[in-house]
Amino acid sequence: MGMAFFGPALILLTLFLFLSMILTLVFSFTDFFALNPSLTHFTWLDNYFQVFKDDDFRQAFANTVKFVIIIVPLQGLGALGLAILINKVTYCKAYFKVAFFIPVVMSLAVVSTLWVQIYSPEGILNSILAHIGINAQPFINSADQALPSIAIMSAWQGVGYQMLIFLGGLQQINPALYEAAEMDHASSWQKFKDITLPELKPLCIFVLITITIGAFRMLVQPMVMTGGGPSHSTYTMVYDIYETGTVNWEIGLASTMAIVFAFFVMILTVIQTILTKDKEGKKHVNKKAKTN
Amino acid sequence: MSFIELKKVCKQYPGTDKKAVTDFDLEINEKEFIAFVGPSGCGKSTTLRMIAGFEEITSGDLYIDGKRMNEVAPRDRGISMVFQNYALYPHMTVEKNIGYGLKNMKVPADEIKKKVDWAIDILGLEEYRNRKPKNLSGGQRQRVALGRAIVKDQKVFLMDEPLSNLDAKLRVSMRNEISKLHRSLGSTTIYVTHDQVEAMTMADRIVIMKAGVVQQVGKPMELYEKPVNKFVAGFIGSPQMNFYDVSIEDGQIVFSDGNRLTMKPEITEKLKKHGKRMTLGIRGEDIKFDPQNLDIYKENKMQAVVDNTEIMGNENNLYFEFGGAVSIARVSKYELCKVGDKMEFVFVPHRMHFFDIDTEEAIEL
Amino acid sequence: MLTKKQKRINIILVIIMIVMSLFFLFPVIWMLANSFKTDAAITRDMNSLAAFIPPALNGSFFDNYITILTNTSFLRYMANTLLYAAVLIVLGIIVNGLAGYALAKINFPFKERWLLIIMLLMIVPMETIITIHFLFIAKLGLLNNIIGYVLPMIVNPFNIFLFRQVFVSLPDDVYEAAQLDFCSPVKYFFTMVLPMSKSVVATVSVFTFLNVWNDYLWPSLVFTSSDLLTAQIGLNAITSNDNTTMGQTLAVITLVTIPVIIIYALFSKQIVEGVVSTGSKEG
Repeated sequence: MGMAFFGPALILLTLFLFLSMILTLVFSFTDFFALNPSLTHFTWLDNYFQVFKDDDFRQAFANTVKFVIIIVPLQGLGALGLAILINKVTYCKAYFKVAFFIPVVMSLAVVSTLWVQIYSPEGILNSILAHIGINAQPFINSADQALPSIAIMSAWQGVGYQMLIFLGGLQQINPALYEAAEMDHASSWQKFKDITLPELKPLCIFVLITITIGAFRMLVQPMVMTGGGPSHSTYTMVYDIYETGTVNWEIGLASTMAIVFAFFVMILTVIQTILTKDKEGKKHVNKKAKTN
Repeated sequence: MSFIELKKVCKQYPGTDKKAVTDFDLEINEKEFIAFVGPSGCGKSTTLRMIAGFEEITSGDLYIDGKRMNEVAPRDRGISMVFQNYALYPHMTVEKNIGYGLKNMKVPADEIKKKVDWAIDILGLEEYRNRKPKNLSGGQRQRVALGRAIVKDQKVFLMDEPLSNLDAKLRVSMRNEISKLHRSLGSTTIYVTHDQVEAMTMADRIVIMKAGVVQQVGKPMELYEKPVNKFVAGFIGSPQMNFYDVSIEDGQIVFSDGNRLTMKPEITEKLKKHGKRMTLGIRGEDIKFDPQNLDIYKENKMQAVVDNTEIMGNENNLYFEFGGAVSIARVSKYELCKVGDKMEFVFVPHRMHFFDIDTEEAIEL
Repeated sequence: MLTKKQKRINIILVIIMIVMSLFFLFPVIWMLANSFKTDAAITRDMNSLAAFIPPALNGSFFDNYITILTNTSFLRYMANTLLYAAVLIVLGIIVNGLAGYALAKINFPFKERWLLIIMLLMIVPMETIITIHFLFIAKLGLLNNIIGYVLPMIVNPFNIFLFRQVFVSLPDDVYEAAQLDFCSPVKYFFTMVLPMSKSVVATVSVFTFLNVWNDYLWPSLVFTSSDLLTAQIGLNAITSNDNTTMGQTLAVITLVTIPVIIIYALFSKQIVEGVVSTGSKEG
């Protein structure tokens, strides 16, 4: 009976998750070339050495790190700041929530297409910059600026999502804490530093890691906006996996990249889960304290 | 031939070493109203759920209408059930809830309508027929649950603490309605409750359980008058029977506070066979204060000070310290006294119960 | 209670934030305003505030939109995506819902083990195995086929887990009552469990829809025939066509966003709850 209910999912899980994962792992030790499968050998760790020596993949990884360094503070602090401000205002709360959430609603492909226009040399952004006396910038057309430009756009697109998460967290802070602090003559800054931040700390960790994972998985923005260029400055790991596997049909090598990629993402997820568990315990205690 | 028969039915949950129900033997006649009663965790619900088929029978046999039912699916056992939390289908109206089973039995639509109308009519649900459960009160939900059970014309009705979620007043009126319903439908009913009042007022026979073991089966008055052990004596009746640790000395019953009762020699002789010490039990209403009884049993008159009273009007409880225990006497409004009053009373000798101090079994006199 | 001073600060804060939000939204405002203009008008307005103001309402106001709707396969792409989403929602609810129900309420061998495996699968990034999926679907000859697109996406460990968490708290006695009402387990699942869990069904449906609507990599691999493209891929096909003007590009991306806005407006409660709960449950 249970198996009848679980069966359809099990078949699909087996085909598209278990088997796919096993095959990815197995292929990562071979030189499997999908256009000529008969020539496949086990090459064991060769692919792994090759991947780490491969300039494109190393650049993709370096790009990811750079992207993380820009977007995490930008989007994380932006979301936290917006949430705190919106939580504070008494008018137009609903408008602000919607306004900063609008880019989240737009898909990555739409946002990327739009920002290609915004970033264009004769585009609206350069025209605004000209009004405040800044020279025209090349943005996505230059190897130096392309990655930061995409990072800013991605932060703009995603900030509303984390803002909502932080707002949810802020609303769960017991207002009595602030009232107690008020009785203790705490300043606004002290209240923020001693109550808001510690209470939101687990959420902050969650949000930062979520943004980092998103950065590791980035693909659509460079695909639509830059094709990974100029000179691979916006190339990403997933882009490399995609081109190697499905464009060049080098399944063996692509699988190795996928394993390396999965290694990073899963480590991040595991860290997130471990830090989460701690919070769940804490939350439980809080709940208990409240009911008592 | 009995209609439902349980033979040495046992339930043991995997991974536990104690049986939840041990050797449950019972024969239930057609149209009988049986109540399973006992404290929570005594196995009464488990037994009911084994009869329904929701719990597997670990060992023993269950027969309904002559057929062995151990491996038969619940729906094919010819039963309907009323659940403790009603278990109404939340997204269906009252009407749909009641007719759902019939619809699944492929009963023609006009017949379903007739039956549902009949149930709605006798349960007084007419104005709620198109409401959903969340818009009904507890009592109304209970009625819908009953309606759902009665329309299916099953021969056996199982009820699992159906009134436990209702307030006291509603419970009394629903009790009455269920009794009437049972009388008019004549289906065999097994009713599980932890409330001895429900069991006493509604059942033809009561099965009283403790720790998975049947203690006594009998008509309500039998359990009340002739409890087979101290547990049954204490469980049935409110306020609880008064118990005293007593010993037999020189043909007299001696209480722990030194009070003594003189008994007929043949009785003390019989009691002595069960050892020197035993438990004496007497119900509150068998402690008498009226001059007539005081006169009849004057050699055993005793005294105590009332330390609390519970006044309900028709019947009133007097609390007093006696025989090393808190005692409760039940008196009419004519014998009511005040806290602090010193009063005289007697135990009616032939209303006393005696229990073995170790086995707690009743001592036959 | 706010003091007078606090009130004044609050009003100033609101004004600052309104200005901030307008700056924040300038790309969107610009997109909307210019989606109604000709390229000449866009270029002309670029250096003035007119860049953020739609043109006067005249006969050619909707020209860009009309061109997109009539001269391109845009509507076709939209319909394709809606179809794929509908199929995936139905199949996903059946497959993941049944599995979640089994994990919540039915005993079967290694049930606890399976639950753990499902939870572990939730951390596997799909990008890892997408190459193999592509290989599978290509080998099965299902490229440019709706089956090929849908098949690997039906089962979703996260949705199984979500269903399981909700179903586990459904009362058992309702199932028992239904059994006595001659309701089979399968019928019970479809006529009782799903209606009793409307909210999780809605959440899963909405997120499946958004997932299909916004998905980029997988449909771009499976579909190459222009008859089958999804809106996101079709959008790329339209905008990369040399004949498409800038105004038409802006009109397309506006159009692609409209269904999502409708979904967000209709289901904002579920979505906000979903977003906030990812933070509070996992964070």
